[in-house]
Amino acid sequence: MTTPGDFPAGYLRRLRANWPAVLLPLVAVGTRGLTASMWPDLVIVLALILVVVAPREGAAIAPYALFAYGAYGLYLMHSLLIREANSVTYGFVPAWWRPVAQVGANWYPIDSRWNQCVLTEAVACLTAGVCLLARPGALGGGPVRRALAQLRGTGGQPKTVPPLLLIAVIFLWEELFGQDLWFGTPWQPGFTPMMLVALLIAAAGGAAVMWLPRAAAVLAVAGTVLIGLIGVVSGIQWLLDPRSAPVGPWSGDTIGFYGAVPLDGGITRVFAGLEGVALVAVGCLLAPRLLTWTADFELAERAQALARRVDGLTRSRSDATETAVAELRRIERDLHDGAQARLVAVGMSLRAVEQLIGSNPEAALALVAEARETSSRALADLRDLVRGIYPPVLADRGLAEAVRNLALDTLLDVEVEVDLAGEPPMPVAAAVYFALAEALANAARHAGAGTVAVSVGHAAGTLRASVTDDGCGGAHASRGTGLAGVERRLAAFDGILAVSSPAGGPTIVAIEVPCALSSVKISSC
Amino acid sequence: MRVVIGEDLFLLRDGLVRLLEAHGFEIAAAVGTAPELLAALTGLRPDVSVVDVRMPPSHTDDGLRVAIEARRVVPGLPVLVLSQYVEQLYAAELLADRAGGVGYLLKDRVFSDDAFAEAVRDVAAGGTVLDPEVVERLMARRTRSGPLAGLTPREREVLALMAEGRSNAAIAARLFIAEKSVAKHAAGIFARLGLALSEDDNRRVLAVLAYLNG
Repeated sequence: MTTPGDFPAGYLRRLRANWPAVLLPLVAVGTRGLTASMWPDLVIVLALILVVVAPREGAAIAPYALFAYGAYGLYLMHSLLIREANSVTYGFVPAWWRPVAQVGANWYPIDSRWNQCVLTEAVACLTAGVCLLARPGALGGGPVRRALAQLRGTGGQPKTVPPLLLIAVIFLWEELFGQDLWFGTPWQPGFTPMMLVALLIAAAGGAAVMWLPRAAAVLAVAGTVLIGLIGVVSGIQWLLDPRSAPVGPWSGDTIGFYGAVPLDGGITRVFAGLEGVALVAVGCLLAPRLLTWTADFELAERAQALARRVDGLTRSRSDATETAVAELRRIERDLHDGAQARLVAVGMSLRAVEQLIGSNPEAALALVAEARETSSRALADLRDLVRGIYPPVLADRGLAEAVRNLALDTLLDVEVEVDLAGEPPMPVAAAVYFALAEALANAARHAGAGTVAVSVGHAAGTLRASVTDDGCGGAHASRGTGLAGVERRLAAFDGILAVSSPAGGPTIVAIEVPCALSSVKISSC
Repeated sequence: MRVVIGEDLFLLRDGLVRLLEAHGFEIAAAVGTAPELLAALTGLRPDVSVVDVRMPPSHTDDGLRVAIEARRVVPGLPVLVLSQYVEQLYAAELLADRAGGVGYLLKDRVFSDDAFAEAVRDVAAGGTVLDPEVVERLMARRTRSGPLAGLTPREREVLALMAEGRSNAAIAARLFIAEKSVAKHAAGIFARLGLALSEDDNRRVLAVLAYLNG
């Protein structure tokens, strides 16, 4: 929130960051000729309020307002039937510019100048809308930005033909051959079966862009070249014989358009020819890219996948290193405080025995007993330590038996179902073992569970294990460091851990690790 | 009494030989690998054997497997298995044939040589000797649910010692109570658990372990 003191500066900064919002009132002014009623003025006021109050939202809306306005201009241009001749104003193109003639009860345009102006303004609006969407961060501009990145081959996109181009080509195509498809025939404005066909074509184009991007790209290039050729032929025809009828569907009283060029029988056909050359050139520039489309696209996709993989590996490697170092430190500490200290005590006791054995054999005997007791404890410490490093049953028998032993060691009724045709690699087996041990310990400690089901299986290159208890639920991987540590350890092998634990239970801890099984059992007699 | 020793570490093997000889055992063979051990057990048929779990060739649980295999060939062949670790799974496997004459102890127990020699003799006599650590975990599991929770602490102590394979006299000595009251406790425990009380020590141990392994 800005204070009154810095209001102008802060507000201007916000407005500068969201400058497209300023276009909204301009567009609203353009719509004032839509009808004779009051609501265009209302729209202008609303737009001004939006710019003042919420420039960010205004900037997000601006491209779509431009699109709507541009589309309306195209509609106006094509609606040759004029019902309210005096009210057709489009932006800065006044109604009185439009020379019309009356036929029966209706008025029709008799010159193309008005149309040219409206078309130019509408195309400018549409282009501006596209440009606004291409700005970084523009709402819903992702496809446009991707299409531009594909055109340039930047931003991790392959240098290829953007499938989105097909939409523009379809529009040009309709413009050329079926104006009546989009906007209805001049004699029957409004919704007609042709309109439905146009919508279907547009939908098919959109679907192709979405699901068949390669086909859409090919169609876009082919369409661009074909449309261009028609313009070129039309221009050449006029040069050879200015009185010839233009090639294409234009005929009769209506004025045809070639892109932005109206074909009114004069020199404009040369401009249509030039525009055709430009379109053919664009098509020919894009065509070679189609050949490398697949390879480039796959390469770019693979590069992206590899980059993601490297990120993941970097993270899991540093996690694994940290875990390993922490583990080594724990072992070092346990040895130092446990077995090592006890062995020192044993040595000291024995030294005392040496001194006492002659003078006081009884005290010496007591010391020897003490030393024996201490060495026993040292062994117990070492046993616990080794269990935490690599459990003996896992080393002896492999994962399946180790899990069964784990179940026997748990103070709960555990149902074990292990279906493994072989043995996973030792580090994976250990990670899975400790994950299951942690899950079982949690079930016994926190869940208040009575029975637990453990299942371990391997299918399609993935080792899956789960621990399901009938406890009270409410467990979470991020809460309590136990499962989080297990998750990090599994991540080193691309393994994942998921916990489902609704309040009231049951709790399911599921583990998946991609790995191959070796067919050889750990040991056999 | 003829003993076969299976232990791959020379120092320990030598120590075991000396310890058992000092207690009047006759060493029939002292071997260091699993195949040798299997041959000695099935060929020499000793009165009792002391076997390490981890042995060559694979240095995993070869000794245990040989012990189970030998007892399959010669049912009831007395075997006392020693290990640096006691695992519930291995205990269950050793007890599975319910034939008695089985021991499963931590290697540390060798330190108290009198008790160890006694355990070897118990196994030779067809008794069952289980490490307190195994019994403790068995008891913990069964205490959580079921009738064990209803026993008094003293009764639980007696039950644990029975599971370890001790006689009434040994239990009495351990707990500093009269042998008679041990018998009384035992009767109470068996009644509570719904087991038939046997006068025979070995059968009593097996019944207790079968119950605990549930």
